[in-house]
Amino acid sequence: MLENKIVTLDERRKHIQRKEGEILLPVICNSDSLAGAVSQRACVYSGARVVLNPITDALHLVHGPIGCASYTWDIRGSMTSGATLYKNSFSTDMKEINVVFGGEKKLANALRELVMKYHPPAVFVYSTCIVGIIGDDLRAVCNASSKELNIPVIPVLSEGFRGNKRMGYKAACHAIFELIGTRVHTPQKPAINLLGEYNVAGDLWNIKPYFEEMGIDIIVSMTGDSCVEDIRKAHTAHLNLVQCSGSMTYLAKMLEEKYGIPYLKASFFGTNDMSKALMTTAKFFNDPLMVQKAEEIIKRETARTAPLIEYYRSRVSGRRAAIYMGGAAKAVSLVKAFRELGMDVVIIGTQTGKKDDYEEIGCLVNNGTVIIDDANPLELRELLTRQKANLLVSGVKERFLSYKLGIPFCDFNHDRTITFEGFDGMVNFAHEIDTTINSPVWKLHVMRTGGLINVEELCNS
Amino acid sequence: MSKNYATVNPCTMCMPLGSVMAFRGIENTMPFFHGSQGCSTYMRLHLAHHFREPIDIASSALSENGAVYGGGANLKQGLRNVIKGYDPRIIGIATTCIAETIGEDIPQLIKEFRQEYPGHSDIILIPVSTPSFKHSHEEGYNETLRAVVQTLAKKDQPSDRFNLIVAAIVSPEDVRYLKQMLDDCAWSNILLPDTSETFDAPVVDEPPKIPVGGTRIEDIKDTANSKETVTIGSCSTIIGAGEYLDCKFNIPNIVLPLPIGLEYSDIFVSKIEMITGTALSRKYELERGRLLDAMIDSHKYVAHVKTAIFGNTDIVIGVTKLLTELGMQPEVIATGSDNQVFEKAARKLAPDAVVLCNTDFSGIHSEIKKKEIELMIGPFTGRQISKAEHIPLVRLGFPNHDRMGASRQLILGYEGAMRLTDTITNTILENK
Ligand code: SF4
Repeated sequence: MLENKIVTLDERRKHIQRKEGEILLPVICNSDSLAGAVSQRACVYSGARVVLNPITDALHLVHGPIGCASYTWDIRGSMTSGATLYKNSFSTDMKEINVVFGGEKKLANALRELVMKYHPPAVFVYSTCIVGIIGDDLRAVCNASSKELNIPVIPVLSEGFRGNKRMGYKAACHAIFELIGTRVHTPQKPAINLLGEYNVAGDLWNIKPYFEEMGIDIIVSMTGDSCVEDIRKAHTAHLNLVQCSGSMTYLAKMLEEKYGIPYLKASFFGTNDMSKALMTTAKFFNDPLMVQKAEEIIKRETARTAPLIEYYRSRVSGRRAAIYMGGAAKAVSLVKAFRELGMDVVIIGTQTGKKDDYEEIGCLVNNGTVIIDDANPLELRELLTRQKANLLVSGVKERFLSYKLGIPFCDFNHDRTITFEGFDGMVNFAHEIDTTINSPVWKLHVMRTGGLINVEELCNS
Repeated sequence: MSKNYATVNPCTMCMPLGSVMAFRGIENTMPFFHGSQGCSTYMRLHLAHHFREPIDIASSALSENGAVYGGGANLKQGLRNVIKGYDPRIIGIATTCIAETIGEDIPQLIKEFRQEYPGHSDIILIPVSTPSFKHSHEEGYNETLRAVVQTLAKKDQPSDRFNLIVAAIVSPEDVRYLKQMLDDCAWSNILLPDTSETFDAPVVDEPPKIPVGGTRIEDIKDTANSKETVTIGSCSTIIGAGEYLDCKFNIPNIVLPLPIGLEYSDIFVSKIEMITGTALSRKYELERGRLLDAMIDSHKYVAHVKTAIFGNTDIVIGVTKLLTELGMQPEVIATGSDNQVFEKAARKLAPDAVVLCNTDFSGIHSEIKKKEIELMIGPFTGRQISKAEHIPLVRLGFPNHDRMGASRQLILGYEGAMRLTDTITNTILENK
């Protein structure tokens, strides 16, 4: 059993399991991070911020000390086709005096000042750790400002210590939900919303044209490249497609309950998942013409991209990949994408996966794969070496650990600048994996071999 | 400048971040935050982006319970787990906002830890209070250096070494340069903190859990026995390591500006020559001559170029000095820290410039527009203004997330000034 083998803290053992003989013991998850274990997780505020920040024309105001705002300024690679207000970092920059006497007044003043200057259609006000401690009444201040300034001022209750990133997603869903349904709108065509699509590197623009080709109107993508006006109309959609299920299922459920909009899980990453997403959407609308159109698109795009993917596949198949992602939905999509490339997944982990996520992952992966919840750098490094991974797919914090271990790395998080979604995205992904794994830098010797044995060879080559 | 209620695009970071930058320069030290998990993750990200190194910072991961009933249990468990996982000699404990707000008494908790776990008595624990609602990362850095010295320095036999306290955040390359110079000139010293290897580690077969390098613990102990202290970085507003050693052990402390540009480098070198009685070696005399040559070569192209400089206080002051030596025109001189020493120094260097303290990038932006700035020098956080106003930006200092080589950027000494002069001149020429 793996538990006996991996060197880690006792409390952490049940968070790591190896799938053996088709059996997977339950992976303990969704609990608080262990003190001193150097978790890769962020906080409630971070979860809320990553979900809401891509709303391009909203003003995002962080009520708290300066650091929290500094580190989250323009962090997410979500692209915009219009407004750029979201690329700014607004903070109340709380000082000692606010901590002692309360920060409500400063917040109200800041709101007034910023709204006068930037005229946003809506403001999100995030609370950070100390706001929860000193007891500022965020909701009351927001309500008063909302009335005074005549725009929605929405509190996002995201005190960092009140849980993990997942709670932040929830807080963000609540905030969005407050906006939805505040505009009258009647869609002229079949209309959908995309939930959990963040337009990182411009992903959305790879997939949007296909839906349009099928005669579907995307009312709003939440939240990549979205604007407040469109979010307000989201309740008029006929269907919600939920991609990043970890962050947005909650909102989908609320929309189903209040507005009766059904939702379907979808993924736009990988040829198979992308095809499936188009087909299920077409079938949902129960329109033979639309289904035919979807078939056409899938056939056409697959024919176009398959040879390219096949080329890369021939260069990477058989290699061993490790996946460590924030959310489970992406991790699952990645397993399937690696299958398309003929690669084995030998480690898979998430920061915020739930029990059913790990069960799904457990069914999906091969025997021998290690599954890990809330991994820390020491565990990752041991597992990467032990499982002989040839590649790690993860975010920035893990990148340099991977490099130091001499293991190729691919960023699947906010920092990438290449699109990975849609049919073209899969080609990009395959290309990225190839250039990463097959770069000559990994063949250079870590330690000088010494001597002049190869001189002749060098000179003659 | 009167400050607004809201900060728009911060030009500063928070205190615990500075503390990590100091702790990381001490041998076998693991930084640890007492507070919520998110703070450590954010700062790890921020540092990893800049240095392109794995950055491990432990956290006591306070949750709701900890916030209500006190985080002692979390802190102690966290310390034990860090010891188990990383086997450090020192754990540097900084506080995040939440620990400060609920009023955690770290020295008391450490006392309890000592009593409850006598087996860990060999581990050195260095607490430092870093409430971000009071100061910025720069003060966090200097508070930490003082805490380190305060915990470790012990009176013993007097030595003939001098202490060199780097009281401003500089790059690993800068520290490497200083070390090389001190070594080449046989100037016997203790340099604190030494981030030359720890923030810019080589690829090796078996990478260590805590990066190799940093000022040796034995050497820090011996700072109490040096004959003098030279503190470089003169903008600090708090009691630094040098001042502490002076008060406590009577070691004279001389505070100098960061050696950026010709004259500040001269001051630095001359002072150390005086302390050690040994002259600067020929290698560096030549370097100085080449720097002057480079400055003369450049002077026509850079003359009167209206420049905005922003970022960490001491670097901004040093770079402003270099610009005045070159005949350029520093017009906007700005820092996010609330710092009177900086303000005075900047006004003296460039009486006609606008000096901004405790400002943000929206403040800097409006001055840049008013003053018709032609060149910007500072961290990558100025990139949005640079793009919007079509003004070239020379990326300099921390943070730099979008270009390579931040760890290898040299700005100190004659060599640093030379590189900076070339970069500035070439940037101007390319944008003519
Ligand atoms: S809450 Fe954490 S990240 Fe925010 S300012 Fe305080 S220490 Fe920094």
